[in-house]
This record gives sequence, structure tokens and C-alpha cells, in this order.
Amino acid sequence: MATVEYRNIVKNFGAVEVLRGLSFQIEPETFTVLLGPSGCGKTTLLRLTAGLEIMTSGDVLIAGERVNDVHPRDRDIAMVFQNYALYPAMKVFDNIAFSLQVRKLSPDEIRRRVGEAAATLNITDYLDRYPKELSGGQRQRVAMGRAMVRDATVFLFDEPLSNLDAKLRAHMRVEIRQLHDRLGSTSIYVTHDQIEAMTMADEIVLMHDGEIEQIGTPDEVYDRPANRFVADFIGTPSMNFLSGEVVADNGSPAFRAENVQVSLPDSVPATSGRKITCGLRPADLSLSETGSINGKLILAEKTGADIHLHVAVGDRNIVAVVPRSANVAAGQTVRLAIDPAKVHLFDAVTQHRVN
Amino acid sequence: MAVANLTRRRSALFDHPLPWLLPLIAILALLAIFPLFYSIWLSFYEWSTFNRQLEFVGWRNWATLFDDDRLSASLIVTFSYFAIALSFELVLGMGLALLLDADHRGFGFLRGALTLTLVIPPAVAGMMFLLMEDAEFGVITYVLQTIGLIDRGTPILATPSLALAGVLLVEIWQWTPFMVLIFMAGLRSLPTEPFEAALIDGASWWMTFRRITLPMMGKVIAIAVLIRGIDLFRVFDYVFVMTSGGPGTRTFSLSLYAWQQTFSFVKWGYGATLSLVTLAIVLVIANLFIWLTKVRW
Repeated sequence: MATVEYRNIVKNFGAVEVLRGLSFQIEPETFTVLLGPSGCGKTTLLRLTAGLEIMTSGDVLIAGERVNDVHPRDRDIAMVFQNYALYPAMKVFDNIAFSLQVRKLSPDEIRRRVGEAAATLNITDYLDRYPKELSGGQRQRVAMGRAMVRDATVFLFDEPLSNLDAKLRAHMRVEIRQLHDRLGSTSIYVTHDQIEAMTMADEIVLMHDGEIEQIGTPDEVYDRPANRFVADFIGTPSMNFLSGEVVADNGSPAFRAENVQVSLPDSVPATSGRKITCGLRPADLSLSETGSINGKLILAEKTGADIHLHVAVGDRNIVAVVPRSANVAAGQTVRLAIDPAKVHLFDAVTQHRVN
Repeated sequence: MAVANLTRRRSALFDHPLPWLLPLIAILALLAIFPLFYSIWLSFYEWSTFNRQLEFVGWRNWATLFDDDRLSASLIVTFSYFAIALSFELVLGMGLALLLDADHRGFGFLRGALTLTLVIPPAVAGMMFLLMEDAEFGVITYVLQTIGLIDRGTPILATPSLALAGVLLVEIWQWTPFMVLIFMAGLRSLPTEPFEAALIDGASWWMTFRRITLPMMGKVIAIAVLIRGIDLFRVFDYVFVMTSGGPGTRTFSLSLYAWQQTFSFVKWGYGATLSLVTLAIVLVIANLFIWLTKVRW
């Protein structure tokens, strides 16, 4: 199976710099998710990999071979498009079989491969229909089938689930991941949905403004975000940020802001007066009589599984996720506590992680 | 109270669709419905030069249709003209549209230049080609002689085997750009993803065109064929200006025949009958085509 390597990739659309010199490598058989907000360049990077865009400078290597000048059909890739890109005038069977017909495989072999893919994807009953006669989920499966029969070494997915409803999306996430495990190919998956990234990826490449913010496993980007952008992007509800400074509290380091004092692990250098942004994940906060974060509860949102507390701390609102059993009412004063090991600290100027 | 009543009355008047439709209904009634019914009425009469009045002739005009050699000759000319011109305009139009769809330098100018033929009145274009196909000094005649396709001094439009081709030349020259415009608009509105998918699937240019572009362009092609086809069936200006239907009846179209009966021979009743035949043929073919190609208006 193949590695995919990017060397100093630059892509400009006119005067707009979309990708600013990216270099990284995707390991064989991994499921890598390119994650980032709209316009960060993730789809452009995927299209460069497929050969549908020409890069301004840099090299793309698939299985160690430079493919800059290789035609898309010869790159040994398969791609699933956001809008499915099915051939509207062909029936489902021909849509899946098209690439095999192009390669002039024998009709028996084509029937066998299409049959296998259709059985895997549960679309055998639809082979005789036109794409317009299918639902969004079924079209998505056909698009997947078309990629599957190619036996490619690299699979490219361009936000394939963004047109599906929430329930179907959750279902297809599992199916795509299982498919990847079964085929043992290298997959590159573009999405702006962090839930998709967290649930499906072996490795996440988090992009922003044409640059890579962090590369890591889902646990790494969640537990140790490299900077404030990553911390803010990953996790629902978003991380709370408080501006303050590090102080020495009886010799051990602590973070202090208005109405807030949070103990920090001893490993944090207690450089008194250093301006810091402190990040607290809502799920890491808990209600506690002895909590060091004081605030007034302004809203308690019940989501079913738990309660999202919106607490006014000084001039800021912070969100905490607590169990549904918590007995709270809007207007009361609450105290929140956090495990010092779960506090994220970022330099107020550079925004980089400090601890 | 009075003001409220007035407002209510006015809004009731303006809410009703009829006032808004009246101008259109008036135009249609004047220019389409009245002439249609008048023609039907006229087809049962004939102008008597002796009595200098219209006289009722019953079904005689309609019966004449079945025993009229000139009518069958003009039908053959019209159908040949229709089929040949449409085929050329379709193929050439699609070819040029595919070519001009690319965004090469200077193609924008070419696309604009193509529309120029469409603003020339057909009669004027006919005159231009009449001169260009002249046996003595016509440039087209000269070129065809030079490459050996015709003999020296051959009058294209007066030669029975060449006359229809001579008229078709201006027809195709003037109206292929119309096809190009429609096809180009169609090509530009196609989604890009299926073509990218085909690129990755490794399809050749021809396979992409045949199995993806062409089927996706089906409705656009059908509309173009319909608009052009109806127009082609009524061909009049070119043959009137260039050949007057000759030599013999080689370019004598149905419209020209109806015109000749009505205005040259003052057979108003038979002229009206021939016009109605043209209308009936166009209606039947067009609706059959719409039904077969599932074009939705």
C-alpha cells in the first residue's frame, strides 16, 4: 500500500495564496482526515493529489513516485466527490462499471466486481436505476461503489457526507471507516466536521489559512492542542478561554483572572506576571463547593444526556457540561472546579501551547 | 369609508389576472387566432377573377392537394432542405461549441464574432451569397473551381443538381452560429464533477463526449432542433431571393409555393390551404418530437 507525501506544496489562485508551502507524509493504510474551516485549502490539497488542480510549486509523491505530471487516471487513486458526481445518463451499474469499461475488462469480470461492490454497499437492488431515481444516501453509496471497484491504492474523499442528514451521516461514517479497514487502502478524507474527523481518523491534519496547525491522532489534537486555534476548533461545545496571568500561589503555580483562580501542575514554570490564555474544556469542568471559579448561572441548556451551563464569570461567559442529575437553576451562584492536569495554557501573544 | 371602498375595488381589479393578460390576448387574437380562423374559412372559398369576388367552393381546395404534383415536389424540396440543413447545423454547431468552450486567448472575440451572422437579415445574406455564387465573378464558384469540385463557368444556382446545395450554403452559414450559441450555453451549465470523475476513471475524450456530455446535453439539443426545425420548414427568404424556386422546381419550397399561389396567381383559397398544410405538418412533427424527446416546456 502507498504513502502519500507532500513536499512544500504552494498553490495560488491568482493573487490568493491558498496553500502556503505544506510538507507532510501520510503513512500507508492510514485513514487521514484533512480538517479545517471553509476556505482553509483542504479541498484544494485533495484535488492536487487527484491531479484535478495544478500546483504552483512543490511535489506530490504517491508510493514514493513523483506524480506532478502524471494524468489523474494513472495515479492509482479513486475519488468520492462531495456532490457524488454520478453520470446522470448512466444506470447505477454503468456508473460503477464505467472505469472498468474504460479499461476494457471482460464483461464477466466487470459484472463480478460491480456485483461485489454492490453487495458490500447494499445497493444490488438499485443497479438498474438511474441516479435521479435514488435518495441522497443511495447516491452516496453508488459513488463509493464507483471508487471501490477501481482497486486503487489511495482513496480520496471530498466531504462525501455533507449532503446527508445527521442520522444517515452517523451511519455512513461507520460504513466508510469499516470499508477502509476492509480494503486496507490509504484514505485521505476532507471534512470541516470535527465529529467526523474525531470518529473516523487515524490521524488528523488540521489546516487553517493554507497552513497546517497540527498533525496528530484524534486524542492528541483533543488532549494537547498545539495552539489556541486547534483548541478552539476541536471539541463541542468549544473550549472556554480566559485571559489572565500566571502567579505563584504559596509556591505553586496558578492561573489568575477576574473571579477565577485555577491551580496549575507544578511542571508549569511560575513566571509571575506572564500573560496567558487559559483554556478549559466544558466537559472537564464540574460543579464543586470548593471550586475556584465563581460565577452566576445565566442559562441551563438541557440536551437530554447532560446539561450545558452558561456561567457569567466576571465579564465573560463560560460553558460547562455537567450530568443531567445536577440540581441547578438559572440565577444562582455556582462554583466550578477543574483538574489542574486538564488545563490548557496558551501564550497570550503567540497563541502557542505553553504547558 | 369611501377611500376604503375604492382601495378594495381597485385591489380587486388589479388582483385579477385578466387586465394584465389583455395586451397579450389582443396581440395573439389579432396576429395568430384571427389569421388562423380566417385561413380556415378562406380554404373553403376561392377568388373568382371573372366575378371579382370570393366564391364558396366547398372541399375543392382540400381535394386538389391530393392531386397536385407541384405540392409533392415542394414537399420533397422542403423535407430535403430541412433534413440536410439540420444535420449540418447540428454537427457543425456542436463541434464549434466544443471548440469555443475552451478558454483560450482570443476565443471570447471569436464567440462574439460568431453572432454577427445572426444580425444580418436573411434576404440580405441571400443576396450576398447570390453574388458569391455567381458563375462569372463569385468567390465561392472560384474556390470550388480551383479545388476541382465544379467545372469552369458552372452557374451553381442555375444547375439542377447544385441549386439546393447553393441555397443550403447560406442557410448553414447563417444559422450554425445560432446552434453554437445554444450549445455553448448548454455546455457551460453542465456540472463539472462528472467530467472530473471521468478524468479519474480514465475515459478518453470521445468516450467522455459520447457517454457523458451528449446525454447531459440531450434536452438542450432537443430544444435547438425544435426551434431550428420549425424555422427550416418555413424556408422562404433564401429561395425567393436566390432562385425563385428554380431551376424547375429544384428549390421550390412549400412556403414559396403557398406564396406564389396566393400572390402571383391570386388563388387565395388554395394559398390559404397550402399554408394550413404547412402548419399541420409543423405541428404534427414538432409535437411528435416533443413527445419522443420528453422536452418539458
